[in-house]
Amino acid sequence: MSLLTAVRNDMCYCPGCSHGLVLEQLAQAIARLALPPPRVCLVSDIGCIGTADRYFTCHTFHGLHGRSFTYAEGIQRVRPDVLTIVLVGDGGCGIGTAHLVHAARRGVPIKVIVCNNFNFGMTGGQHSPTTPADALTPTTPAGFHERPFDIAETARISGASFVARASAYDAGLPGLLERGLRAPGFALLEVWELCSAYFVQSNKLTPARLNELAARGGMPFGVLAEPPAGDARPAAPSSPADTGKAASDETVPQPRGPKLPWPGRREITLAGSAGQHIRTAVGALGEIAVACGLHAAEHDDYPITVRKGHSISNLVVDARPILFAGVEAPALVIIMSADGAARVGDLSHLPSSSQVIVASDLPPPATPATVHVVDLDAFARAATRAGVALALLAYGVVRAGWVESEALCAAADAVLSGRHRESNLSALRAGVAAAAAQSPACAASTAGGRHDP
Amino acid sequence: MREFITGNQAAVRGAIRAGCDYFAGYPITPASSILTEFVREFSNGSGIAVQTEDEIAAIGQCIGAAMAGARALTATSGPGMSLYSENIGLAQMGEVPLVIIDCQRLPPATGGATATGEGDVVFARHVTAGGFPLPVLAASDAASVYRLTYRAFDIAERLRTPVIVLSSKDIALTRQTVNLDLVELAPLTARRRHAGERTFRPYAVDRPADVPAFEPIGGATRVRFTGSIHDEDGLLTIDRARIARKLTHLREKVVANAALIEDVDADLDEKADTLIVSYGTADGAARDAVRRLRAAGEHISHLTLYSLWPIPEKALAAAAGGRMRRVIVPELNIGLYADELRRVVRGAAVESVVRYDGGLISPQALIEHFRDRNAEAVR
Repeated sequence: MSLLTAVRNDMCYCPGCSHGLVLEQLAQAIARLALPPPRVCLVSDIGCIGTADRYFTCHTFHGLHGRSFTYAEGIQRVRPDVLTIVLVGDGGCGIGTAHLVHAARRGVPIKVIVCNNFNFGMTGGQHSPTTPADALTPTTPAGFHERPFDIAETARISGASFVARASAYDAGLPGLLERGLRAPGFALLEVWELCSAYFVQSNKLTPARLNELAARGGMPFGVLAEPPAGDARPAAPSSPADTGKAASDETVPQPRGPKLPWPGRREITLAGSAGQHIRTAVGALGEIAVACGLHAAEHDDYPITVRKGHSISNLVVDARPILFAGVEAPALVIIMSADGAARVGDLSHLPSSSQVIVASDLPPPATPATVHVVDLDAFARAATRAGVALALLAYGVVRAGWVESEALCAAADAVLSGRHRESNLSALRAGVAAAAAQSPACAASTAGGRHDP
Repeated sequence: MREFITGNQAAVRGAIRAGCDYFAGYPITPASSILTEFVREFSNGSGIAVQTEDEIAAIGQCIGAAMAGARALTATSGPGMSLYSENIGLAQMGEVPLVIIDCQRLPPATGGATATGEGDVVFARHVTAGGFPLPVLAASDAASVYRLTYRAFDIAERLRTPVIVLSSKDIALTRQTVNLDLVELAPLTARRRHAGERTFRPYAVDRPADVPAFEPIGGATRVRFTGSIHDEDGLLTIDRARIARKLTHLREKVVANAALIEDVDADLDEKADTLIVSYGTADGAARDAVRRLRAAGEHISHLTLYSLWPIPEKALAAAAGGRMRRVIVPELNIGLYADELRRVVRGAAVESVVRYDGGLISPQALIEHFRDRNAEAVR
C-alpha cells in the first residue's frame, strides 16, 4: 500500500523537477518494508522538498530549516519503534550541518534522504553549499568558487552506519532507498537531482550529466558506508532501559538534628580563594542549620573558572523564614585570602556590632566592626588545610555568641553525613575549641586586631 | 520535610512531579545543573535526558519528543533563549505542549555568566516573530520555582503552548530552605485526546479559544504537525479565512484563558496609598521591606506577580485601584516591566527601582525609596 496521496504529476513540483520521482520511489521503498502507516513518521525540512509531507499518509512533521534532524531525534528517542525518516534538501544540510554531524556521531537511528539539487529552488536559485565548481547562480554570476560541501562523505566520517549517493535517475535508487531505510543506526542517502526552474536553466545539467558531475567532482555514486554483516553497533540509547522505576520528586529523608537556638537573622560572608573549600564550609553550616529547625540561604559569588580566583559564599541563618536571601550588612565577615578581600571590598559601611575575622597575612581592613586577626596556619594544624574554612566559620559563630559550642557540636554530629563527615566534624570542633580558648575579654579586640588563637 | 536546595534542584523536582519524562539541554551557566540533575534522575530509566550539540537541537528534540507524547522540558539562560527563538515560534504555530525554563543572567549577549540579572522579562514574551501571546511565569525563590514549573506543565498541556518559567542566577544557584511537602499543587488536568469515530483532525477546534485534542506521533491515529500556516487538518493553506481562523485561535486560546495562567499573591493593606509590585529576585527584598515598614507603623500594600504574561490585569486593577497613589516596581533590569505596567495601571504613578550591576536590590533600598519619595510628596 502506497503512503502517497498523489502521483508525481499532481504534486506541486515544476515540470522536470526530480522531487516527485524521488518521492514516489521513497514511498515504494517504505511500502516494501510492510510497516503499518502509524509506525512511520516523515519529518520534512524546508524548501521545495519540505512541502512533501502533505502527500504522505503516515505521521508527518514539518518543522524549521535545518532542524529536521533534531525533531526526528526527539521523536525517535521517545518512539524507537517508529521508522523516522528525514526528508531534507542541500540547503537544510547546510544550515543544519551541526545537527546532521552530531546525529550521525551519536548513531541516532533516523533515516535521512537528502534531495540535493545544488541550489535554493524555492527562493530563486541562489547557490547552496553543494553548488558545483564554476556553476552559475543568481548569487554566483561569475561562477561558484567555493569548495562544494560533500554531504555523504560528511555523514560517513561522522559515523553514519549506512551512507550512499545516487542520481535520482539511477535504476539502483529504489534498492538503495530500501537499504537505507532498513539499515540500523543513522543512515543517509544523498540523491542528486535536477532543479528545472533554476539550476538546469543556467548550467545545462541533464540526468546523464549528473553522472559526469559526480565523477568530475570526486563524489562517486554508490554505497560509501554500510554496517558490516552481523554488526552489533549499538544505536543511540533511544529509549531508557525499562527498569520499571518511575521518577519521583519524593524528598530523600535527611538526618534531623536537635533544635538549635539562634538569635535571629544573621548574615555571614566567607571570602577566600578557589581551593579553600569556601562553599563546602558554608554549605555544611547551612545544612546543619536547616536540619536543626532553622532557615538558611546560601548565595555564592565566584568566577566562571571555578578553580581559580575569588570564592565568596554568603549565608543567611534565621529562626524565621528568610524573605531576602541576599546580604545587606553581614554580622560576620571572614576573610581568608587577598582574592576574597579584594572582592569583598570596602567594609567601612559595616555596623560596629559586626565582627570581621581576617587572616594574619592580610592587612586588617578599615572598618568600624570588631576585627579579629587569626593565624590560618594554626587553624590548619588543628583542622587540616581543607578544614580551615569550616573551622573559621564555627569559630566565628561561637565567638559571636550566636550559638553554644556544645549545641553546635551536637547538631553537627547529628546532621553531617557522607564521606567528609569525619573531617568536617573535626574541623568544626577545632573552630569551636579555638573560640573557647579565647577569654570573653578578647571579644573587645578592635581594629588593628589581636592575634587569635 | 524541610530541605536546603537550589532553585535548579527545585525546578527538576517540580517538573518530575508534573510527569516530565524528557529533558534536552545544552550546558550554560546558571542553568547547567538542571541538565546534570535530570541526567542523574533519569539514570534509572524513568525518563530521557540528553545533552545536545547546541540549544537549537535541545529545544528541537523537546518539540519532537513532546509531539511523540513525552512531557518535555528544556532549560537555558538568556543566550540560549536567543537560540530557542525560532523553535518557540514553531511550538506556538504547531501547538506543542512544552515547558522552557530561562535561568536569567546579566544580559545582553554573553553578559555575565555568574552575575545576576532579570532582563528577559519582556524578551520572554516577545521572543519569537508574530507577537502571539505566550504564557510567562516568574519564580522568586526555590519554592516558587518548584510550584511554577509544575504549573507550567499543566498550562502547557491545557493550552497546547510553550510556557516559559523565568528563574535567575540568584534563584537557580542559591540554596534555600524549602518544604516542598507544604507547597500546594492543584491536580494536573488530563490531556484531551481525540474521541469518537470522526477522523482525527489535528488542529480542529469548535471555538477559537478551544484547544485541539492531542494525539501523539507514533500512535494509531495519524498526526500531521506543521509550523507552516495550516488548516485544521494540518495542511498548508493559503485560504485567508482559514489563516485568520488559525491565528485568531492562537491568540484567543491564551487571552481567553488568562485566568488559568494568572498567578499572584496579594498582601494588601486597605489604608495604604503605596503598592509594591514585585516579581523574581526582588520579591524577597520587597517582602522583607514590607514587613519592616509595617513594623515601623507604615501602611503599604504588596502584590507579588508569579505570572508576568498575560499581564495579570485583574489582580493589578484590584490592588492598584482605589486610593493607591504610588506603585513601586523593583526590578533587576532597566525598568522593563514597569514600562509595561504604565500601560495598564491607571491613576497611580508607577515608580521604578532598578539595579543592573549584577547585585541584588536590598530591602533597605526599597525602604529608602518609599520614604524618600514620601518626603518629596510632602514638600
